[in-house]
Amino acid sequence: MDTRSTFFAPVGATSRLTSRIASLPSADKALLRLLFGAALLALVLGLVGGFVTALSRAKAFTFFPDDAYRILTLHGVSVFFYWLYLIQAALLLVLAAAENGRGLALRPLAWLGAALMLAGFGVSEWISATGTPLLYDGSPELAVDDPRSVGFFALGYLLLSAGLVAAAVSGIATVLQPRLRGEADEFTSIGFALFAWAGFLVVSAIAATNAFAPGVLWALGAGPFPADHGTEWHILFHNLHYLPLMATVLVWYVLTEHLTDVTSIHGARMSKIVFAAYLVFVPPTSLYHMFLEPNLSEGVRVVGSLLSLFVSVPTLAAFAIIISSLEASARARGATGLFGWMRGLPWHNPAMANVGWAVVNMMVGITFAFVLIQEKLAPMLSDTFFVPAYFHFFAVGVLTQTFLAALMVILPALGSGTLWRPDVLRRMPVVVTIGLVIFGAAGITAGFMGVPRRVFDVSYGGMAPAAWPVLMALVGVGATIFAIAIAVSVHGVVRTLLSRRPEIEPAPVVDWQTGSRGVGTAPAWTGPVSVVALVTAMYVFTIIAFQLIQSLPIIAISGGHGH
Amino acid sequence: MKMNEELWLVVVIAAVWAVLAAVYALVPSLGMPGYVRVWGGGAVLFLVLAGVLVAVSRRAHKS
Repeated sequence: MDTRSTFFAPVGATSRLTSRIASLPSADKALLRLLFGAALLALVLGLVGGFVTALSRAKAFTFFPDDAYRILTLHGVSVFFYWLYLIQAALLLVLAAAENGRGLALRPLAWLGAALMLAGFGVSEWISATGTPLLYDGSPELAVDDPRSVGFFALGYLLLSAGLVAAAVSGIATVLQPRLRGEADEFTSIGFALFAWAGFLVVSAIAATNAFAPGVLWALGAGPFPADHGTEWHILFHNLHYLPLMATVLVWYVLTEHLTDVTSIHGARMSKIVFAAYLVFVPPTSLYHMFLEPNLSEGVRVVGSLLSLFVSVPTLAAFAIIISSLEASARARGATGLFGWMRGLPWHNPAMANVGWAVVNMMVGITFAFVLIQEKLAPMLSDTFFVPAYFHFFAVGVLTQTFLAALMVILPALGSGTLWRPDVLRRMPVVVTIGLVIFGAAGITAGFMGVPRRVFDVSYGGMAPAAWPVLMALVGVGATIFAIAIAVSVHGVVRTLLSRRPEIEPAPVVDWQTGSRGVGTAPAWTGPVSVVALVTAMYVFTIIAFQLIQSLPIIAISGGHGH
Repeated sequence: MKMNEELWLVVVIAAVWAVLAAVYALVPSLGMPGYVRVWGGGAVLFLVLAGVLVAVSRRAHKS
């Protein structure tokens, strides 16, 4: 494998993205700093809660059950809701403002959205710390005698939802501004993605209201006990599977252009179709969440199984577009080798390293997600440690690393100062991935063996298999490794946010826009080959899962939490 | 008015969501009224967004 050296953009050169962010009005910059800071606070709280939870599962600590569930609740609420949705709101607004080139439209509405989301953050953290621990899904069944906890918990999510709607409306108005000014007849691919993503945020707020408004009404004595909460939660949860993934792919598009100057070789129309596909596939693929219902008819199971195969189509299509565009551009510049063309990417830039390893984590996560949604496996695995083991590849490896990558580009451009120690930050993603592989391999194996999730003492009075504590200890080791590495990345981003030093030397980017050989003269196979390898891995691991589970002496069918 | 690709993509999204909402509404054995509310609400939202795109295009062409 060999590759020709790559032209590095001159130091001091600023991309369209960073120059537009740098020129935003100060009121927008203040709002964005506030939202980014709150999102990072939520990530820190969630990281601490998750780290303590993992060590507790590994028996490094022992908690009373109520305390353990409180920590688990704080972990889930902080990370899954407030980190992921505060950062999405902030990214939507900053990218929309950059797309507009003149800042945010409906700015007071965006500020109102931020205020509502921060109020929700405060209410949710307070009631999770002081009330009955309801876990992150806020199940009222855990607090039938404590309507106050149910009501305030639900209120927190409703405030978050209302804030997301306000931010999304501001985002939509912002991306429409160039058209209203007559400067454009249509969206760019990023503009259309932002428009669709903002719509999806509003729909998710509708789903959250559908799930949590009954809890508030019951707590106020104005409605019946929300006995259907589990079903309504699954509708929201299904949307929440797609929403951050759509945001992730959008950030990959934006960062790819920023880091390499490469846009899709397949054209803006194809990108718009892929982003629209996220929304087209959301409702039809929802049936697989019902596989845990014991009374589900066989016909619905068959239809649900077939439709579930489309779950990752938009993400894989977007992945293939980005990879093929990069590879074709690299080969047009003379790069050769099966994977050698990747060496020219700006790996010294921490944002590039985070995105690159996020892609690796996505491949692993999708493989096991498909194992989990198999109609025959879902009931057996959904209440086991398999679930947290695989979804941390997504939550940490893909989503968190991608959003941190975006912050590493955006915060210095916002005028927050220079990026803290790029040479340290660019090494963290590989450490995160090593930790996740240990955590995931041990946890997935534990799940296959029947180790339950959300149960802190799995010794069962010494009756549990001898392998269980060993696997859970490995889970603790893996969690320790990736938690430390993520903490270093977060520290770097927070230092950047708080820094007031002017940026001296931007992190490296490359210019692959023009190639001497012409894009398309050499084939670019890495994207399609990766998708084929992924599908093969899905089949292999599904077969392994069936054989492992069938070899166990006891099979327990669950009908509980879902995933 | 010529329907551009962005408009028909948003209309397709609204149509798919509306069909799913209708399925859940018209097949009571599925027993999921929440899906009717959420997919139906989404269908209405994306129809509104399609209307916004039309209105913005008309306003831009007039000015």
